[in-house]
Amino acid sequence: MSSDPSANPIDPEPTPAARDGGTSDGDRHWRFSDLLADPTVRERWEKVRRYFFLRESTYDVATRCNLRCDGCYYYEGEKQFVSECRDPAAWTELMTAEKARGITYVVLAGAEPALNPEVIKACHGVIPLGAIATNGTMPISKSVGYRIHISVWGDDATSERVRGAANLLDKQMDIWAGDRRAVFVYTFTRHNVDQAEATVRRLVDNGCEVTFNMFSAPVGYTGDLRHTPASLNETRQAMCDLIRAHPQKVLFTPYNAVAHTHTRGLHDLFGCTYPRRNPSQLIGLGRTFRQVRANMEWDRDAACCVPDTDCDDCRHYAAGSAVITARLQRHATDPARFRAWLDYVDTYLAVWVMDYPKGSTLEVGQVDPPPAPRHHRLEAQ
Amino acid sequence: MIAESTTPEALLDETAQRVSEIIIDELKLDDVTPSTFDADLDLIDELGIDSMDLTAVVLVLQDEYEITIYEEDYPELKTVRSIASYVLKRRTA
Repeated sequence: MSSDPSANPIDPEPTPAARDGGTSDGDRHWRFSDLLADPTVRERWEKVRRYFFLRESTYDVATRCNLRCDGCYYYEGEKQFVSECRDPAAWTELMTAEKARGITYVVLAGAEPALNPEVIKACHGVIPLGAIATNGTMPISKSVGYRIHISVWGDDATSERVRGAANLLDKQMDIWAGDRRAVFVYTFTRHNVDQAEATVRRLVDNGCEVTFNMFSAPVGYTGDLRHTPASLNETRQAMCDLIRAHPQKVLFTPYNAVAHTHTRGLHDLFGCTYPRRNPSQLIGLGRTFRQVRANMEWDRDAACCVPDTDCDDCRHYAAGSAVITARLQRHATDPARFRAWLDYVDTYLAVWVMDYPKGSTLEVGQVDPPPAPRHHRLEAQ
Repeated sequence: MIAESTTPEALLDETAQRVSEIIIDELKLDDVTPSTFDADLDLIDELGIDSMDLTAVVLVLQDEYEITIYEEDYPELKTVRSIASYVLKRRTA
């Protein structure tokens, strides 16, 4: 496997490609058909490619929130100041137009989307695939068949300090444990890595599914939650330990951990494909993605999955789900890297799509992110 | 694959025919055959395929024609004919 000097490896176990004598950096050319020769790999490829029809956009459906969290991306930039459209009929009309232009998947966010339950129902009534990013302190109608992503920022003491909410995890579990829509999203900051094991164990003991996010600083953020190289390394180790400890309930893979805790952010590693960093309007996210604000307007120059994030610090799980998935060709270079990509996509689908069954991890050992395509490197010289 | 002794136009048509077969096979297009596939149909605007579908096709084309297709060239791959033209250009590059 290629060695990236800027990576921060923690698990030196050899990859399948290394054991096979094949690497992604030139000593064997792997045809795509070679990569699919393994029946297990082909089966996983056919499984994930059925979801290539997903085309997402995101929608802020509320400007209000019942919590105020340090480092919250929503209360940065202009989007927080727009008016909030609470008319379900207007949202039905918008969603109908979105569907007509090819959007098949919606992410409802905001500040706190659960504050506008009728808007959520209206959106679900038109586009039935989606997810809601919520703080999990309020129920959402059972009729809404979206994945529900519940934010967790550490143990109870940390939640009280950073989010001003006492006993938050108990409140969240009271509402969401046992609800198959729910995925708890533990966001690693620089200061809560050591709290992840106990917090995730509490969630798993209550039957909850968990995935991981990385705190990614908003533009201009001056607080102390931003990651350091040391905290990235510690986070990667913690993620890998939790994947091993709870393989059925932790929706994450070793490659997720590598990609999201790399010292280089997602844009630097993969080239972000969201409009904010991608001027092309011809194909892919640059063509179809919109980040619609609560007043139903959108700004192409600001459009990405988590607006107002400092792109150089972006390691968001939502960003990776789109950006790493889109870099299929860069990962179809050798068996190990392709397996890692399949694991990543299988995981992202399990996190974001209701009733998508996550398969067992295909990858063995650490796989580094692919280098930029060779012609890109030559052009950069 | 690409025949050696033919006119450029025939070569383009022949390649387009094979590209059609690959797209139909990869994208499981049940309601079209290579002979009825409009080589000038806009795959993105009119057929509705997007970047992930296109990448799957690209990977098979790379195998078939032993070429490298660059990510930044995807916007050139808008129709069967433009894909065939691109493939031929890459074959001789």
